Amino acid sequence: MSTQPDDAVSPVADSPAGAAPAPGPVVEPAPRPGPAAGASVVLAVRDLRKRYGDIEAVKGVSFEIRQGETYGLLGPNGAGKTTTISMICGLLERDGGSVTLDGTPIDVGAVAAKAGIGYVPQELAIYPDLTARENLAFFGRLYGLGGETLKARIEEVLELIGLNERGNDRTDRYSGGMQRRLNIGIGLLHQPRLLLLDEPTVGVDPQSRNAILESIAALGKAGMAILYTTHYMEEAERLCDRIAIIDGGEIRAEGTQKELVALIGQKDEVRLALTGDLHSAARAAGAVRGVTSAAAKGDIVEVIATDAGRVLPRLLEAVEGAGAHVRGVELVTPDLESVFLHLTGRALRDAE
Amino acid sequence: MRIALLVALKDLRQRLRDRSALLVSVVAPLGLAVIFSQLLAGATGFDATYVVSDTDGGSLARILREDVIGAFADGETIKVVDVATEAEARAAVEGGTADAAFLIPPGFSMAIGAGQAATLEVVGAKNEGLSTEIARALAQRFGDGVVAVQLSVATAVDLASAPPTEADIARIAGIAGGAPPPVALVDSTTELRQLTLATYFSASMAILFLFFSAQIGLVSLFEERRQGTLARILAGPIRPWTVLAGKTIGSFALGLFAMTVLVVATTLLIGARWGPPLGVVLMVVTAITAAIGISTLVVSFARTEEAAGAASAAVAITLGILGGTFSPTAQAPEVMTTLSLLTPHGWFMRGLGEMAGPAGTAADCLGAAAVLLVMGLVTGGLGIVRARKLVRAR
Repeated sequence: MSTQPDDAVSPVADSPAGAAPAPGPVVEPAPRPGPAAGASVVLAVRDLRKRYGDIEAVKGVSFEIRQGETYGLLGPNGAGKTTTISMICGLLERDGGSVTLDGTPIDVGAVAAKAGIGYVPQELAIYPDLTARENLAFFGRLYGLGGETLKARIEEVLELIGLNERGNDRTDRYSGGMQRRLNIGIGLLHQPRLLLLDEPTVGVDPQSRNAILESIAALGKAGMAILYTTHYMEEAERLCDRIAIIDGGEIRAEGTQKELVALIGQKDEVRLALTGDLHSAARAAGAVRGVTSAAAKGDIVEVIATDAGRVLPRLLEAVEGAGAHVRGVELVTPDLESVFLHLTGRALRDAE
Repeated sequence: MRIALLVALKDLRQRLRDRSALLVSVVAPLGLAVIFSQLLAGATGFDATYVVSDTDGGSLARILREDVIGAFADGETIKVVDVATEAEARAAVEGGTADAAFLIPPGFSMAIGAGQAATLEVVGAKNEGLSTEIARALAQRFGDGVVAVQLSVATAVDLASAPPTEADIARIAGIAGGAPPPVALVDSTTELRQLTLATYFSASMAILFLFFSAQIGLVSLFEERRQGTLARILAGPIRPWTVLAGKTIGSFALGLFAMTVLVVATTLLIGARWGPPLGVVLMVVTAITAAIGISTLVVSFARTEEAAGAASAAVAITLGILGGTFSPTAQAPEVMTTLSLLTPHGWFMRGLGEMAGPAGTAADCLGAAAVLLVMGLVTGGLGIVRARKLVRAR
């Protein structure tokens, strides 16, 4: 099944000369809500490739993240998210492509440049027999922090992740959610230019997940560039300024959520539960500007519109003007799940 | 180097917090050294009590009692008790109060003086083989001396044609019996340079368990890989070799800590005599180097934490057996002594042995220390080259 939408659009507008364009359909750059206008590119990934024997795990992945931008890699397990992030932070040798942080190449051998990266691995990466403060102190010193600066940063991070009361407890006495928060806190300690978060909420209870997502959102607002990989659609929608749909080691589409939805050409649907003359109501609804079609089905009028949120007040006014009484309204907007389904032929959950 | 020290300090903090590491590094070797040295101290000690019944009372019998048997009595290790009758002597042996009895019959001195055969009976207790053998050897020595004197006297008689009196014979025999051996043998290898029991078990347990301490650092790389902390470290602004260096420094520090505690504790608790301090430091440092080198090489072949731990333990025990940490190689067949020289354990014990004794100096252990150092550097070098894969980007 083809995953290429017919209305797929232009290549990446800001790719430098000679750089390979991002594979798959990419929407035209739109004003980004996260980064400030003219924000500098923090991370530039070009044509990243990795092969394990006969399996090509990453097939020419390219993207950029600007200062203050939260960029999501959304895809199922095995899509190549972790492999990509591992190559970015120098844990994996890459077979091709380049990675630069603030213009400085990042490679396996790069040492100084890696100080600008904060890495939060998918699995917990903390010492269970050390306290949270000891964990933070060790990794802080690894990144060159020391003295009063280190002490102050440890306290700040413990406050941020809500562990200041338990900072002197061994981490093997923490709940899973607390360990996850510390796992993220370690990545933040040295105030990196770029934070790599590899599925940080896997296996976390809903309450802790919410706290984690709020912390990450705050970091993005504070100006940190963030690369966030996830297979949870809701997290990508909530956190990310731009999202890349990745599957089978390649980026299938990239853009804001709105751009991605627009990419697949799917429109919003409004279901109106009415009493009265449904056919008159349907005709009145069809005449509203922005409505593509409207049809009466039983005691429901189904309306297809380009922007249901904006159309809805006029729509309700029109049907009530036609003599119908509105008993209920259901708004169905296409989401990233629909985009993933459209691009890959599989539901995101099915693909895991 | 800063990163290596950071990793080493972090490892040390974890190991000292981890009671099992302290158990393996300090408590187990110390406990076993104390137990073995105390248990076997009684089993390997020697003392004997001899009874003498002199029913002859002649001058030659007195020489036998005073100058031959009496010369060995020191009041502590060997005691000699005189009894009046042969029956009392036999009863003492039968009753277990004596290990052997010398029975000097009536007419003993007269018979020898006349150049006739005389009988000296040695009665040994059933389960005191060594004590009885020593008693027999003493009697034999006297008998040999008597024969020599008789021959000398016979020759003198032939030349002078004047028969000697019993007093002449006693005087000559006395001179012969009391004279020191013409050649004195000092066996410095087996006597002066032998480690005391407490020192032997202290040193052998220390080197045996040192191998378990030495492997902890590198094996913990597998643990760090499993718990994800290694990837997190390697994602930082560090060079991968500094992690290996940190693990090695951590192992060295743990080994040094354990050995220092063991040397001091065994000296104070069970009276181990390790030797000149400088020499002990040299032996300890080179032994730790060898242990870490060999452990690094062994661990570098492993793919999992479990395999690394099992292989290291197997090598440590095998080398320990071959190296004489369970029983001294001096008492083993020649082939075992030779095999022990293939192990750091053997050289460690040999180095300490060289320094043992009142005249031992640190210089005496230089050869063994050099061998240990070379063992450590060669195996460690190979191990580090192989172990780089554990911290390399995949």
